Amino acid sequence: MNRTKSLASAVLATTLTAGMSLGAHAAAGDPVKIGVMLPFSGIYAQLGEAGRDGLKLALKENAANLHGADIEFIELDTEAKPSRAPELASSLLNQHEADFIIGPVHSGVAMGMIKMLRGKDTVMIIPNAGAAAATGPLCSPNMFRTSFSSWQPSYPMGKVALEKGYKKVYAISWNYGMGRESLDAFEESFTAGGGEIVEKVLLPYPSTNFQSHVSSIADTNPDAVFTFFAGGGAIKFVKDYDAMGLRGKIPLLGSGFLTEGTLKAQGDAAEGVMTGLHYAEQLDVPKNREFREAFNTEYGHYPDIYAVQGYDAGQAIANTIDQLKGDISDKQAVISTMEKLTIDSPRGEFTFSKAHNPIQNVYLREVKDGVNVVQSIAAEALEDPARGCKL
Amino acid sequence: MIFEKRTERIFLAIFFVIALCIPLFLEDNSFFVGKATTILILAVFVMSLDFLVGRVGLVTLGHALFYGLGGYLFVIVTPEYEAVNFWLYALYIMGISAVVALVVGVVVLRTSGIYFIMITLAISQMVYYFFFDSLEFGGNDGLFIFMKPETSIFGLNFLNLDNPTHFYYLSLLAVLVTLLAIKIILRSRFGRIVEASRLNPERTEALGYNIFAFRLISYIIGSTLAAYAGLLFALQYGYVNPQFMTWEMSGTALVMSILGGMGTIYGAILGTITYEGLQYFFEHMSEDWMLFMGGAIILMVLLLRKGLAGYLEKLLEK
Amino acid sequence: MSTELFFVQLINGLQYGLLLFLIASGLTLVFGVMGILNLAHGSMYMVGAYLVWYFVAVTGSFTVSAILSAVIALGLGILIERVLIQRLYNRNHLDQVLLTIGMIFVFNSLQSILWGNDPYGVAVPDALSGSVPFTDNSSYPVYRIFAAFICIAIAAALYFVVSKTRLGMLIRAGESNREMVEALGVNIKSLYTIVFAIGVMLAAVSGIIAAPMRSIVPGMGESVLITCFVVVVIGGMGSIKGAFVGALLVGVISTFAAVLMPTMSNMIIYIFMILVLLVKPQGLFAK
Repeated sequence: MNRTKSLASAVLATTLTAGMSLGAHAAAGDPVKIGVMLPFSGIYAQLGEAGRDGLKLALKENAANLHGADIEFIELDTEAKPSRAPELASSLLNQHEADFIIGPVHSGVAMGMIKMLRGKDTVMIIPNAGAAAATGPLCSPNMFRTSFSSWQPSYPMGKVALEKGYKKVYAISWNYGMGRESLDAFEESFTAGGGEIVEKVLLPYPSTNFQSHVSSIADTNPDAVFTFFAGGGAIKFVKDYDAMGLRGKIPLLGSGFLTEGTLKAQGDAAEGVMTGLHYAEQLDVPKNREFREAFNTEYGHYPDIYAVQGYDAGQAIANTIDQLKGDISDKQAVISTMEKLTIDSPRGEFTFSKAHNPIQNVYLREVKDGVNVVQSIAAEALEDPARGCKL
Repeated sequence: MIFEKRTERIFLAIFFVIALCIPLFLEDNSFFVGKATTILILAVFVMSLDFLVGRVGLVTLGHALFYGLGGYLFVIVTPEYEAVNFWLYALYIMGISAVVALVVGVVVLRTSGIYFIMITLAISQMVYYFFFDSLEFGGNDGLFIFMKPETSIFGLNFLNLDNPTHFYYLSLLAVLVTLLAIKIILRSRFGRIVEASRLNPERTEALGYNIFAFRLISYIIGSTLAAYAGLLFALQYGYVNPQFMTWEMSGTALVMSILGGMGTIYGAILGTITYEGLQYFFEHMSEDWMLFMGGAIILMVLLLRKGLAGYLEKLLEK
Repeated sequence: MSTELFFVQLINGLQYGLLLFLIASGLTLVFGVMGILNLAHGSMYMVGAYLVWYFVAVTGSFTVSAILSAVIALGLGILIERVLIQRLYNRNHLDQVLLTIGMIFVFNSLQSILWGNDPYGVAVPDALSGSVPFTDNSSYPVYRIFAAFICIAIAAALYFVVSKTRLGMLIRAGESNREMVEALGVNIKSLYTIVFAIGVMLAAVSGIIAAPMRSIVPGMGESVLITCFVVVVIGGMGSIKGAFVGALLVGVISTFAAVLMPTMSNMIIYIFMILVLLVKPQGLFAK
């Protein structure tokens, strides 16, 4: 089992004396080590588990294409705590000598990981954290992202709002990186087309005291509301919005996370909510149907965007190993192979931008009968501007 | 002598001997040297808390404020791409932290007991929110420290802080100095009055001592030591984040200190090592490591009346 | 701010405050009577919410699930008190802190093992799912009004029990003079068990009532714990009346702060608490 293996290697390290090298990087024949740094406890645990499950499924499906390379997973629980990030990254890089390091969910943890791993002899793939800096000023050849930049899902929604004739929009989110960046992206395209943000409210993260704000929205009476919330906050906001009778009266728009993994808990309250995301469960793409069934067969429940992103990270690794015929000892070759890949993703095919962020479609979805139904492609092959990246 | 108890002397002797040798045996394994370094830095933080809680009697849940502040102050006062002098800036940062502790102390020391706990927690949370919300100081993503400081004294330089082994020894030195400093303070007249004010405040005041002043000075000392630990923590990997100053960080330190044996100071080292060791062990054993961690903590509280140090003392003292 | 909006926010604040009172009441009761600082109080709130979600998913009835969950919580409280808390009466406060922190770890882990880490929601029971038209645009959910009344009812019940019944008299006596109560032949051990169990049940009931208005996620206990402590400290540790007043104040202040100065609103409550403590270092209604 992975845990026993890593415990054994830890014991080995402490009892061996100086001079004992733990081996050079994987030559053909050595196992390919994939370090996984995700939250498996706490509020983000669901996202961590989904990412890990997707990752493993991809490697399992591609087992035949790995040219005999064995895959070894090393999983570490970040607890979404930035203070542990550099240490855990060091463990994967220095202690386990992982060839690929997948993680994290939380942007603060991402920063800690990037500090440790940037420019080092390993390939880091971010399966969630949307922090702009990762493919912005801090971009690096050995860092990839299979998820999104915070700008991507929200930017096209500005155009959507304009097309629907909304002139005055009330924007609300949490006051932290992802929240601010999402609202800024929406504002960018919305105001460029003549729209007006009548009120922009940033709540302290992770406060879920929405009741007063929902009342305030009712009082302001805008044409529509644009928001970013995720997880528990998304559930509560949508429910509070509905409970106050605003659903149907004032259209609710959002970055797709508002309705990802939350629809069951939101129930009827989510009907009619329109969001933008680079994925939707019922996306009419053959790969998506295959993937959803395979995931359900393997894990007993259907996947969400977080699982897709982990799955694509796995595909990126598998395809790279395949193209290099199982020999990943040359990290430069690994990087140049990976950056040229076209990933056949359940979200539709995507390639990597120069900053190693996915160039992907953003879909406009509307919740109907408890499902995110794709209405249109809000933006095709959208590339994050990667402001500040020098790649 | 400053180490009165036999158990204490034995433990510290063994600890320092092993600690001195660790990099020699694990030179090639920078992860373990790094992990050991982090434990040492935490031990400094926990010792400073143990001093405040166990000896001065000030139960603070806001100690991590200074821990985080140490790192943030470094980022704030040093130029981004210049290697400053470590010793000078460490003193500088400790000085600023002392001033902050003075201001905070004057406010919080007017309360006691549970109210003191809450007010220290509130203040640390407010500073946390300040850094979390601030775009200039990196917000919730935190900030990087790009250039490690250099360590020359009057032109002589032995340490390179980019070298994990050197950084390790610097942290070990910090443990030693903190331990000695606290012990010497406790043995001094000042220390004895401070302890008296914990054991019997009314009597001590009746004897004419201004315990507010004594507590304030102790609070400043404890907080400044925590800031130094925080500075080392930030420099180790070159990264600061507001999460370093949350009440959860303070709470974890409190757990380590109680586990080790409240007030013994050397118990803080023992408690830190045990807690970190247990977590490492459980994490690698199972995804439900928290269950075992919680169970272990509960068992230890129930069985060890005076913490690990107390247990060792029971075994070793006649 | 229009008058209409002002009133809406006032009601929002009071309703939030009443819920806060319900959560905080158990904490202050246990501390006041037994001197125990139960940091796992938030975990009990979480347990109540998860239990009611689970039973609603199984039985489909909110009422049945609520009662079942409350009873289980009562039993859990008795169990914890008998097995763990009882051993700490002669130990110092910090050992209690440590033990209850260990309990937080255990409960969080159990939550993950038993119910998984996905976020859940509980639908508002059909009978209470309407809303009362309020303004042109909005209507106030009936459930929130119901929840507010439940909180008031429980507050009244607590007041009645503590001031008018024999149990209440024993509680008040036990607070001030434990030895005397024992000398009078009262089994103080049983009294403590009852009080602790009630405290746990109150926390769980608040989790149950709040469940349809919240999302049920890992870590929900810790996020409520701090606010709980702030309320109790403002009101005065051990004072139920203080917790009531403190909770309403916190509820109203944080609601208005959220709309008037959103980015600063999390600090406002702490600032308020610090101000109260500077003027009354033991809280508003300290014993």
